[in-house]
Amino acid sequence: MSKRQLAMVMDLNKCIGCQTCTTACKTQWTNRNGREYMYWNNVETHPGNGYPRKWQESGGGFDASGNLRPGRIPDMNQDYGAPFDLNYEQALNPLGQGTSGEPPQLAPARMPYWGANWDEDQGAGDYPNNYYFYLPRICNHCTNPACLAACPRQAIYKREQDGIVLIDQERCRGYQHCVAACPYKKVYYNPLFKRSEKCIFCYPRIEQGLPPACAQQCVGRIRFVGYLDDAAGPVHKLVTKWKVALPLHAELGTQPNVYYVPPLSPYRYDAEGTLTSERRIPDEYLVKLFGPRVPEVISLLEAERERKRRGEPSELMDLLIAYRHEEMFKLDAPSPSKPGGARLRVIPIVAVQDLERRLSERAIAAGGHAGGAA
Amino acid sequence: MASRRDFLKLTGACGLALGLPEELLARIAEVQDPLQAYPERAWEDFYRKEFAATRGDAVGYAFHCSNCQGNCAFHVFAKDGMVTREEQLAQYPQISPSIPDPNPRGCNKGTIHSQAMYEKDRLLYPLKRAGRRGSGKWKRISWDQAIGEIAEKTVETIARHGPAGVMLYVGTGILSQGRRAGPLRLGSLMGAIRLYPSSAVGDMFTGATLAYGIPNVGTSLDAWFEMDYIVLWSFNPNVTRIPDAHYLWEAKWRGAKIVVISPDYNPTAIHADRWIPIQPGSDSFLAMSLVHVVLAEKLYKEDFIREQTDLPFLVREDDGRLLRLADLRQGGRDDVFYCWDEATGKAAPMPGTRGHIRKSLRLGALKPALTGRFEVAGADGKPIPVTTVFEKVRAEAQKFSPEATQKHTGIHPGVVRQLAREYAAAHDPGLTIGFSLHKYAWGVLACWAQALFCALTGHDVVDTEHQWSLGGIGPLASPKPSRFSSGFLGEWFSGRMSETFRRHYPAKEFANRTGLTPDGLVQLAERSRADKWLANYGEPRVRILFADNMFRRNKSSEHYKKTVLDATELYVNVNFRMDSSAELADYVLPAISHYEGWDIRGEVGYHRYVNLTVPPKGLKPIGETKSEWEICRLLAERIEAAAGRRGLGRIPDPAFTVERDGKKEPLTRDLDTLHADFTMQGKLGNDKDVVKWLIENVPAFQPWKFEDAVERGFIVLNSNAGLTSPLYADKPYRSFEEQFYLKRPYPTLSGRQQFCIDQEVFAKLGCTVPTAREALHPSRFPLKYYSPHTRWGIHSTWRTSKYMLRLQRGVPHLNLNPADAAKRGIKDGDTVRVFNDVGEFRTMAKILPGVRPGTLMMDHAWEPHQFARRRGMDAPVAGLLSPLELAGGWGHLRFGAEWDGNQLAYESSVEVAKA
Repeated sequence: MSKRQLAMVMDLNKCIGCQTCTTACKTQWTNRNGREYMYWNNVETHPGNGYPRKWQESGGGFDASGNLRPGRIPDMNQDYGAPFDLNYEQALNPLGQGTSGEPPQLAPARMPYWGANWDEDQGAGDYPNNYYFYLPRICNHCTNPACLAACPRQAIYKREQDGIVLIDQERCRGYQHCVAACPYKKVYYNPLFKRSEKCIFCYPRIEQGLPPACAQQCVGRIRFVGYLDDAAGPVHKLVTKWKVALPLHAELGTQPNVYYVPPLSPYRYDAEGTLTSERRIPDEYLVKLFGPRVPEVISLLEAERERKRRGEPSELMDLLIAYRHEEMFKLDAPSPSKPGGARLRVIPIVAVQDLERRLSERAIAAGGHAGGAA
Repeated sequence: MASRRDFLKLTGACGLALGLPEELLARIAEVQDPLQAYPERAWEDFYRKEFAATRGDAVGYAFHCSNCQGNCAFHVFAKDGMVTREEQLAQYPQISPSIPDPNPRGCNKGTIHSQAMYEKDRLLYPLKRAGRRGSGKWKRISWDQAIGEIAEKTVETIARHGPAGVMLYVGTGILSQGRRAGPLRLGSLMGAIRLYPSSAVGDMFTGATLAYGIPNVGTSLDAWFEMDYIVLWSFNPNVTRIPDAHYLWEAKWRGAKIVVISPDYNPTAIHADRWIPIQPGSDSFLAMSLVHVVLAEKLYKEDFIREQTDLPFLVREDDGRLLRLADLRQGGRDDVFYCWDEATGKAAPMPGTRGHIRKSLRLGALKPALTGRFEVAGADGKPIPVTTVFEKVRAEAQKFSPEATQKHTGIHPGVVRQLAREYAAAHDPGLTIGFSLHKYAWGVLACWAQALFCALTGHDVVDTEHQWSLGGIGPLASPKPSRFSSGFLGEWFSGRMSETFRRHYPAKEFANRTGLTPDGLVQLAERSRADKWLANYGEPRVRILFADNMFRRNKSSEHYKKTVLDATELYVNVNFRMDSSAELADYVLPAISHYEGWDIRGEVGYHRYVNLTVPPKGLKPIGETKSEWEICRLLAERIEAAAGRRGLGRIPDPAFTVERDGKKEPLTRDLDTLHADFTMQGKLGNDKDVVKWLIENVPAFQPWKFEDAVERGFIVLNSNAGLTSPLYADKPYRSFEEQFYLKRPYPTLSGRQQFCIDQEVFAKLGCTVPTAREALHPSRFPLKYYSPHTRWGIHSTWRTSKYMLRLQRGVPHLNLNPADAAKRGIKDGDTVRVFNDVGEFRTMAKILPGVRPGTLMMDHAWEPHQFARRRGMDAPVAGLLSPLELAGGWGHLRFGAEWDGNQLAYESSVEVAKA
């Protein structure tokens, strides 16, 4: 067993589906070298088919007795969606080269059958009680990885110091057992290198004190990164202390190390159009993804939110609010090496004299913005 | 754990053989259990090297000057002179421990610009048209030839038609203070026509101007975190304010209740406590119902409205006009107004109005009555019956009970009452509206009524999009008076939009809903121009467009395109990529994009950080691209030369006058010194000089030095950046503290939040106080068509990036409700035809349960060249104007940056069928 385990918590209540994590990962790792079709990080709309299409029905993982379940290798066109190029040159002729006839419309060279975000915002249910939410996914860096168990080359391992699961790119021969065995379908075959690749939890960044690109660049501020055993870190507090972060499809036996705070949702309407007190995402749906503790977690989130609303302290809400971006990450790495050399001093905010003057002139009426002779 | 062999057997058994030869399997060497330890880890350098490569050998700073206005600081990494990647700076300081910091601002578009800037749609060389417009046939020419020919034609046009013959317009593709300055400065010196962009694109908050005198009010978006009840109305920040949306969901964890009001179940609604689905365009009814509940249930704050609004002002019962000094005394002022003073039992002038000597809202001993009917003696001695604006407002609101408006909005009365009560009872609520609202004809009324609702509840103002007041930019961007033309009205006339308007809106139905016939509206637009309520200088012969996708954004797009191109003798497009407007030009000039030049941006008002673009050292130019500043400098130089050859020097421009020795003289446009004037006598040679100048001259940037900014990539605005409140160092910004606390007048005629406007158009349409009107979608086509902002582009920028398209469907798609689709036999993925009597286009259908039945929703700004026959999604959108936005010449309704209307986009009806 690895000595320590790095883990990630994602608060689905803060995920806005903007895909900045997806594009951050794309430019960090997968816009080149045969990885173009891969999304090591993707965000999918649930309920939905997801990416790769119907991954939840594609087998893999372990059965109740700990045996590997059979799995399917997703199809490039039908399930991943081949990464199309566009006919920019023919349609737009930006270099003014010789052309003949009407320029065609700008379009994919080959119409896609599916894509990483094909069913964006579709979800389920009927207007006005339909529902959906966003589920960002990376490799779960499982404690009991099915990919590792399935690899005939023993080319997959967990790093001792942080539990990151890696595919040895020198040893891998591209047999793709790992692709089939991963129940999350988070291992991808690289047709150029002829070996399998996947999310590496940005270990080259981690080693320099930088959080993974998807987490560091997440503008919804939904991702916490840290060691599970670090009682002072946000990940430990959310997973172990407050127990509000739950693994995805834990029943598949891989012991994933990415955890999710399940989403609340707006109240449903009844047939007359009045509001009920029932949230619109059915508990059963969330339980299917995150296990039986979902209702309990949602109650706890609501109770702590209510405490905070009343002005009482709540460590849980403060954690999820994440007042300081950099405190969402606790990597225990050497001091962060920021680009441009030494860390710049934080720029102070200036109060110039004019502010003092304006402040001293100010006559604040009691009680917020109410008027009255002051 | 199962053995590998078992696994393979199982996998094979389900028919998914992996093709692994048995003999290969036999050769695999056993290593120790990889779960325990793995010895051969030297290979890990493989990814380390890749990471180092993306980190590059040089680093710069950047933001994106696009019209999201998000303004987010990034690191830009480059290797061997090529940009490799960008990553948010994420170093903004936290203003207070009780407010989450703003890091790491950014979005999906900003994080792929490093790829988009090298995409194959990038323009590299100046091009000259070599076939008919839009034929795609070009000749590559030199900069020298391009600038020379453009300058020649420009001067010829000025000689023949005066400065107004030329439009030099910088659109919303560049909204920074640095790069935008070049085209603004050149246009200002030449007196070329320019539009108010917010008006041309329908982003004016006219309802807010009615109430407050300025359209952009509210808070910096970190203020969301302080609020306890947040209403997001016609506003989808999870899509349109991606870098700031976190404050909402952090506020929710702090205990705030969040309510979203929108026709579709949008990505913001999914995290709300309550989503209120509304019929598109019916917002004014909901707003008036909220006012109704607050008045009926006496939930209003009397102290606040007595002092801060015109609700206690007296209004004549005979003609409905506000009572003025002129009514009481011959020759009296018409900008002094009255209340009924309960202390003295007499009418008394209200302090703080435009014409009152006391410029303060302080009431002193006055006790203005909110209710009652009174009589005052007129100038002619006859009694004038008067009442209060409050009474008028109450009478109007009486008509709009939640029960009465349900048929328009589709919202259950109980839901409306609960919203009004909770909002009124909240400690610190906020109501934020988005840019969608004013793209409906009655957005102006909805927003005005929302302002009234906020005032009545004593909870300050409706939040539009507050803007900083940087100051000091004038000498750079507008060294001479600029020839501003009304944005929406300019496009209306240029595109002869009245033609598609008349075709689409049946006379009787339109008249019933507006109180004005279609002819009446067309005439009103003419009147507004003739009476100079709104400025228009006729049709330019030369159009030089920077960063404006004019033929993408305008409605009735096919009709607009033909009309405008036919009237244009020379059309120049300056751009970094071949967009749907560049491809129609006579000349295309290749410009830099976001990371390639120096730039600075301190607007709008979402946050207080001023970002810099500092290109990475050694960055290689892309093709022959030039900065906008350099392009304008070259134009200035060659225009001056061409003018000299024709003997043109100082051209009088009598539309503008200057005072010289106490005498008014026509302004001159000095073509003979254009280059020296443009460069500020050589001081501003390039884009870097401009950034330096701005840091030195903008008061809100003090005390920062150029070197500070270059070192860090950003600086912080000081307190002077606030327009109506100080920007405190440790608190989010909120508008109008000077009004609330210092009792300074608002920039309105009444000096207060104004809810009675007796301008003649308002009077004629029965809209002197906030009211509601029915949406204008013609009923002869079954589906209401609207096109809100997308998360996949900033308007058309990045819309055609393959990295964005791969995360959608590769081609434009429209969204429709499953029931509407089923009725027409349409399935997800089908190609459909969207049509009406104005135009049509083809696109892919996507079935979306969150779309309201009876509506079609299509994310906006797909490029027309992404559609069959280049017919874009705005082809069937008819021309339309909101009559109220044509008003002017009254009080604070005077044409300018604060008062201009909106190009309307969401009130056409269509049908859809399988293609």
